[in-house]
Amino acid sequence: MTANDERTLRLDRMRFTKNKASANLALLAILFDVCFFISIYESDVGAYYYNILIGASILYNLIFMLAAFLCSEGVKNYKIGYAYLMAALGLGQLARIFIYPMRSRGAVVTVQDVSTAVMSEGQFAATVTFLCLSAACLLAGAAVGVVRSRALAAHVASLDSRAA
Amino acid sequence: MAQLSMQHIDKIYDNKVQAVFDFNLEVKDGELIVLVGPSGCGKSTTLRMIAGLEDITAGRLLLDGRDVTATPAKDRDMAMVFQNYALYGHMTVYENMAFSLTLRKENPNVIHKKVLAAAEILDLTSQLNKKPAQLSGGQRQRVAMGRSIVRSPKVFLFDEPLSNLDAKLRGATRREILLLHKRLKATMLYVTHDQTEALTLADRIVCMSMGHVQQVGTPLELYDTPANRFVASFIGLPPMNFFDVAVRENELEGKGFSVPLGEREKGLLRPYAGREITLGVRPEDVEADGEIGMKVFSNENLGMNTLVHGHIGGVNTPERKLSAKLRGWCDYREGDEVRVAFKRCHFFDRETGDAIREGE
Repeated sequence: MTANDERTLRLDRMRFTKNKASANLALLAILFDVCFFISIYESDVGAYYYNILIGASILYNLIFMLAAFLCSEGVKNYKIGYAYLMAALGLGQLARIFIYPMRSRGAVVTVQDVSTAVMSEGQFAATVTFLCLSAACLLAGAAVGVVRSRALAAHVASLDSRAA
Repeated sequence: MAQLSMQHIDKIYDNKVQAVFDFNLEVKDGELIVLVGPSGCGKSTTLRMIAGLEDITAGRLLLDGRDVTATPAKDRDMAMVFQNYALYGHMTVYENMAFSLTLRKENPNVIHKKVLAAAEILDLTSQLNKKPAQLSGGQRQRVAMGRSIVRSPKVFLFDEPLSNLDAKLRGATRREILLLHKRLKATMLYVTHDQTEALTLADRIVCMSMGHVQQVGTPLELYDTPANRFVASFIGLPPMNFFDVAVRENELEGKGFSVPLGEREKGLLRPYAGREITLGVRPEDVEADGEIGMKVFSNENLGMNTLVHGHIGGVNTPERKLSAKLRGWCDYREGDEVRVAFKRCHFFDRETGDAIREGE
């Protein structure tokens, strides 16, 4: 079997198999996001500002998990639109680094007359890491999804033209 | 492909119930053998022993000369198709068919080629992305067969695969199995209680009753020259009529009728002169316009034929009951008198039930 035959077979296989790589990467991204929002609960919030930031973050987490799960199911079936949405969610995760973890880093609030850091350095590193991992999974999954969806669409089109 | 040899196989369950007695059979390469018999006769048990799903209590099972009696089912290189399909509901048709090869960690491209080839054979190409729940019973059974085909096993085993299908689909799927056998030229063992399946599919039939093999032969042999009364009654629809008759010099004398004997029959029945034997007559061997009077109690028009049930001499007793498959469309009413003749007769020893044949 030539390399070209191998490639054709690999493409043809995609007609009947799911894009599990992208789907699993989306699920992994959700897992890292869960780790992220668990770690932000450790914050000592003594000001409305951080309360609102964390509240908004929790709200976004709910929307994110729903959207990421839908993306997981969509890319599994080679739907390219979901791959683009997945990429957007990945970029969103990167953007979030500059909202809660970055704005809270080094911030000090007074809780019961005691000055306390909102976030420790360790907590900061953990939240940034989780968001980065989540974003990386989403972007990688989206890239795989786009490449595979396009390849499959081209293969199906060639099969259709051959049949016609 | 493969040759299968079953030598003196017995099956005794833990509760001491013996399901199979001294089963012997040589299956040739590419042969389609049908095991037929009523429920509880041991046919499925025999098939499961061959598959390795049941232990063989005594005897030997050889596959291509290699003793596989104690070999685990997974190492026997046999594929079994079950009555209830046994498909994975959460997997697509493609995934179901590819599953066994995926477990074996075969190259995905090789798996793909095998699945597509099997789907082509079974006309399932357009269904590959569907889940079993979206398929009809016949299509599901074809998927189950496809799952066996992709493995390229030495022997295919079918355990009543058509029992869950309606009559029309059963006929269509039966023809597909026959075509599949011709195409693959594979060794197949097929279990059924349906004699129509047995007669239409088999190269050879193994007729079983109460765990014993009653007769092994081609469909025509079983129909035409049944070895005993059980086979005669089991093969053929409607079943054969049986009468106890006395052997006289020139005729057989039954209750309310007599049948003249030809020279060949006279010679055959000479050892039974003066004794009683069992006379067997197939309904299709009964013809109108004869000497035997039958009082009709039911008339079933089948289109080309009419199935007429009645009692010889008009006496309503079980031993005088006669079914006749008469040619054409008849409109007999209950109580009508019909004169019939027996075109062809079978003779059985009354004590043993064995067929009385020349040279025995």
